Amino acid sequence: MDQREEDKIIEGITSQEYKEGFVTDIRQDFIPKGLNEDIIRTISSLKQEPDWLLEFRLDAFRKWQSMKMPTWGHLDLPAIDFQDIIYYAAPKKDSDRPKEIDPKLEETFEKLGIPVREREALAGVVAVDAVFDSVSVATTFRASLAEKGIIFCSFSEAVKEHPDLVRKYLASVVPAGDNFYAALNSAVFSDGSFCYIPKGVKCPMDLSSYFRINAAGTGQFERTLIVADEGSSLSYMEGCTAPMRDENQLHAAVVEIVVEKDADVRYSTVQNWYPGDAQGRGGILNLVTKRGICKGSGAHLSWTQVETGSAITWKYPSTILKGDYSTSEFYSVAVTNNYQQADTGTKMIHIGRGTKSRIVSKGISAGHSQNSYRGLVRMNPGAVGARNYSQCDSLLIGSKCGAHTFPDIQSHNPTAIVEHEATTSKISEEQLFYCNQRGLDAEDAVGLIVNGYAHEVLSRLPMEFAVEATKLLQVSLEGSVG
Amino acid sequence: MDSSNSSRAGAAAELRPYSAAAKREWTRPGSDGRPAVILIDSSQQRDFVVGAGEKLDVTFIVLPGTSAEIPVNVDIAGPGAVVNLKGLYLSSGKDQVSFNINMRHHAGGSVSRQLFNGLASGEAKCSFFGKIIVAQDAQKTEAYQENHNIVLSEEALVNTKPQLEIYADDVKCSHGATVGKLNEDEQFYMRSRGIPEDEAKVLQMISFVAPVLSGLEDEILATRIENAIRSLAI
Repeated sequence: MDQREEDKIIEGITSQEYKEGFVTDIRQDFIPKGLNEDIIRTISSLKQEPDWLLEFRLDAFRKWQSMKMPTWGHLDLPAIDFQDIIYYAAPKKDSDRPKEIDPKLEETFEKLGIPVREREALAGVVAVDAVFDSVSVATTFRASLAEKGIIFCSFSEAVKEHPDLVRKYLASVVPAGDNFYAALNSAVFSDGSFCYIPKGVKCPMDLSSYFRINAAGTGQFERTLIVADEGSSLSYMEGCTAPMRDENQLHAAVVEIVVEKDADVRYSTVQNWYPGDAQGRGGILNLVTKRGICKGSGAHLSWTQVETGSAITWKYPSTILKGDYSTSEFYSVAVTNNYQQADTGTKMIHIGRGTKSRIVSKGISAGHSQNSYRGLVRMNPGAVGARNYSQCDSLLIGSKCGAHTFPDIQSHNPTAIVEHEATTSKISEEQLFYCNQRGLDAEDAVGLIVNGYAHEVLSRLPMEFAVEATKLLQVSLEGSVG
Repeated sequence: MDSSNSSRAGAAAELRPYSAAAKREWTRPGSDGRPAVILIDSSQQRDFVVGAGEKLDVTFIVLPGTSAEIPVNVDIAGPGAVVNLKGLYLSSGKDQVSFNINMRHHAGGSVSRQLFNGLASGEAKCSFFGKIIVAQDAQKTEAYQENHNIVLSEEALVNTKPQLEIYADDVKCSHGATVGKLNEDEQFYMRSRGIPEDEAKVLQMISFVAPVLSGLEDEILATRIENAIRSLAI
């Protein structure tokens, strides 16, 4: 392939459009801009929250005020004016039909391919909690799940209907003062999903949350809490999109997962927030804290993420392996293009005996993007016979991008074994030539090679997600052949 | 994750400018391409600038009873350079050894290889921080790094942070790090053939450090290393 053709294809990929970038024109309630204790009281009263939750928020806010924005990430983060953000935006409820979903909202989610009405899909049944800006607009299949004792609802409803459960588990994995963004979230979180699987219950369908940012000038601060009681099992999926705007919008979420003895949770994310345009203007700042704890023995938690969106991603889904012989995995594909920046990875904290973890991270960078893997593996003195294996591969497409690997391995135990390896490479001429020779054009060839490269991770996704993720990879990289 | 190695995007700025004058300043062990061995006895920073076609081959050795911080900066300034950096640390008692390697490829077409192996016993604290930086135009760079550690006692602690910062696409870079223990199956094999357990451990440790010392010609130093390993096995 000659240089000119190569350049043309690279240009094609980097000028890819973002399909989900439309804005829904809907009447919305806002609260004033800015952040102070009054705003937090307003959010809390709008949501008719009990006093203990307001106290929790205020306590987190006070902690946040004394904290500084972390700067250790390999990121060029724009200055964020936290007083210039609207912390709560909700679609107006029609007073005549308060129970109905606004048709426009339904249309929006329909357009995004998210069914907010219950129906049998071909690929299988998935229960969805759809969150629009600061509120959850619909949660499907609640009744049929309730028959099995499963609680799946928006976070606000959970606070009203199951206050004991929420109070018991909220901030038990990510304390309010854990880090700057987690503290901010704890102070102003609006809505999210709550899920509780009782003892011994295998959740009959995949549960999923879908987050949509619509209003301008707002931030989204969702809070998800998942509790899997003894011997239960659950597959959970999370997706997200936002309109195209020239401004950066903040998304600071907290996800907490509690996995009790012998329970099994699989958490999958396809993150497709608006990544900004080809010049790096706009896009979502995705600064999230996700953490799970394998509390009891034999617990299992698996994270799978496909990160294609966001101008900036700062995200480290982590597992605390507290129960003996508990296991955890982290599978990640992170794609960055244009001026996107991603600093993502995981933490595996081994506390219990015989705990095992596995990390597979595949980074793909194109355009002018910077893609970093950052991970911590810690073997505590009690982690007798613990085991970790990490593999981080980076693929560079084009000569203007960067790929980085920052692992940190700490071993306090002579019986623990930790292995880490990382490689950096580009798509080889030979591979491209081989595909070209068999009649595939350069673009399809790159798609094929990238999908093969990421296959180990993609194959872990639930089926609906795997199809979407494969398509997203193709779209995100269109035109970046090198 | 801590902030000790904070870095910002566009960190090509971290590639310090170097000058011809600076090049004359560095001490020149191994600069003529002949392997050099440096026995570490105290904390000292070491900077190397390697020009086009030059070779650098240095092995660092830290014996038990030594606590030291060892920052090593290598700047590869021209194409065709070959850098071999090796290290061995044997730590016991309350030793604290920390390596801090910065391998900066300013120019393409060069090769760097790093191999650092360490044994930690007693209450020793060993840390290895190794960064490979490949500048944006340093195409056709090959950079490899390995760090292997064996923890011999309950109280010993090993931290390792191998890092890659790559700003060029046509490169081959990899790093690998392991922390583990002496293999019990191997010990069983040797004991079942009449080799006492302590001797079996010594043999395992010698084979673990051998790749670092493959080119070592200094017999006296080799004997000191063997004695040090024997002292760790007890």
